[in-house]
Amino acid sequence: MAMDAPLAAPARPKRPWTLLADRSAGSIFLLCTLVLVALILGLLGFLAWRGLGAFIAVPGNTGRVLSLREVFLGLDWSPNQDHFGVMPFILGSLTVVGLSIALAGPLGILTAVFVTQMAPKWMRALLRQTMDLLVGIPSVVYGIFGLATLLPFLSKGWLSDLPAAGFLASALILTVMIIPTVVSLSMDAFEALPRSLNEGARALGSTSWQSTARVLIPAAWPRLVTAIVLGMGRAIGEAMAVQMVIGNNPQWIGLMRDLTDKTPILRFLFTPASTLTTELVQELPNTPAHSPWNNVLFALGLLLYLLTMGSILFTRRMAGKRA
Amino acid sequence: MNLKTFALVAATLGATAAQAQTVTVMGSTALGPLMKRAAEMYMKSHAGVQIAISGGGSMTGLNQIAAGNCTIGISDVYATPDQEKAGIQNNDIVIEPFTLVVNPSVSVRNLSAQQAEAVFTGAVSNWNQVGGPDMKVIRINRPESSGTRAVQQKTVLGGKPFSSDQLIMDSTGAVLTAATTTKGAVCFIELDFAEKNKGKVEAVSYNGAFCTPENVKAGKYPLFSYGHAYINPAKTDAPTLAVAQDFLKFITSQTFQDDVVPKAGYMQVSLAAKLKTKL
Repeated sequence: MAMDAPLAAPARPKRPWTLLADRSAGSIFLLCTLVLVALILGLLGFLAWRGLGAFIAVPGNTGRVLSLREVFLGLDWSPNQDHFGVMPFILGSLTVVGLSIALAGPLGILTAVFVTQMAPKWMRALLRQTMDLLVGIPSVVYGIFGLATLLPFLSKGWLSDLPAAGFLASALILTVMIIPTVVSLSMDAFEALPRSLNEGARALGSTSWQSTARVLIPAAWPRLVTAIVLGMGRAIGEAMAVQMVIGNNPQWIGLMRDLTDKTPILRFLFTPASTLTTELVQELPNTPAHSPWNNVLFALGLLLYLLTMGSILFTRRMAGKRA
Repeated sequence: MNLKTFALVAATLGATAAQAQTVTVMGSTALGPLMKRAAEMYMKSHAGVQIAISGGGSMTGLNQIAAGNCTIGISDVYATPDQEKAGIQNNDIVIEPFTLVVNPSVSVRNLSAQQAEAVFTGAVSNWNQVGGPDMKVIRINRPESSGTRAVQQKTVLGGKPFSSDQLIMDSTGAVLTAATTTKGAVCFIELDFAEKNKGKVEAVSYNGAFCTPENVKAGKYPLFSYGHAYINPAKTDAPTLAVAQDFLKFITSQTFQDDVVPKAGYMQVSLAAKLKTKL
């Protein structure tokens, strides 16, 4: 009998209001979820409606219907001359993201190894807080830093006063922006490993380099890939900061080929270029609605949406494999 | 009793709504400050009229007025033929002079029409080709959808394409920032912006004439365009349209044009009739 006492139901009878609230809780939560799903699908639908209008005759459209081939394989973007090739933006985005991952990946992962395996505990806490702080800084602040400090520094140092706007400046700014994501997630990855892995490797006589390269990184690899892909997701979607330092030139492919006043590597790093997001920021609000020009820009928005969604699905799959 | 009160409140609200006319203005950020000044003055003398002004750029203004989403759409450029099909009507409200400016590192202070064209089409790529220092020409421009860029292409380049070797910035302010920090930079901006940034950038005369209202009036300086205000009679309700038309009449009135327009860096639209250069 004494054992039953703690299990007894509360004696106070439920009031009707409480009962009602309890019963309706499920449907209210469901409603919230539905609103959220509707928002996401609505956004996708809107982008698809306006973006696909570039390739299909839609009532209200002005101008001609474009072919997928001329848009997605075209190298020339000059809408006033009726050329709508978006390859420069796709290649621009891929280059900038590739460069920034090449910088942020190793830097972030090695930082995480140091912090989780070698640094004292207080330093670990401090670094985590610093990383969280960095994520919260608005991107326009990074952009202003790039414009006011990084560009003049690069152009004075390497270029004898030519403007430094281009892939390198954008990749450097993006590296700073995505490093907190990469470091935080990589730290999680290494902290999830049993301590015995590192200790065992060291006990068998591995150096720090050997245990890191042969044991820790392979063991944490799926999670590290997730960290990098999420960093890429942030990099590909970033518009404001990149826009301020890249030079925004859609004709960059031809320009890179023709400019002969710099060596090839400097030409690649310092030719004013543009990406999917920078083109959207610059032109979307200023183009006539429902014109081919405007529709193609919406199609770029759709492409970005799908790329981001793809990277998230990819990380989900990686997480699934791990489990 | 309750119903009666409700009816009374509704009637009062209805009456107020009929009296207070709200006119929304959208578009060109270059014309925005002038419209704001005009709206303040107009609202002071017309109780019950509300004029709300927002930016977005010339094309936004034209898009929104064509779709009937605002009462007045302001723009630095003419509407496209498609937008005109929506039945919008143009009113020229001011003349906007534009000037070429360079970074102070460039010693060139005059370009002939041919030289200016060559600088922007890419035929000239070093300042020493037009009497300046041995320094690369850095062209700073707006995106292809910009009104300013359209004006420049028409007046300076005679419709020819820009050189692809250029930096592109999304607002006049950003163009100016880039021009002040980049050696060898040259760009094309509204006179008002150039005057407010004297010392950071240097004005360049065109065919020997600096951009001044006097030179524009005398027909010596051809780099300018109209500021446009579009209305859409088919998609605006009659009372609002009447207020909008009266507001535009106020802007083009002698008093406003003579007292306010020149101080804001623009020129009276009535001068257009006397100008030798046609827009």
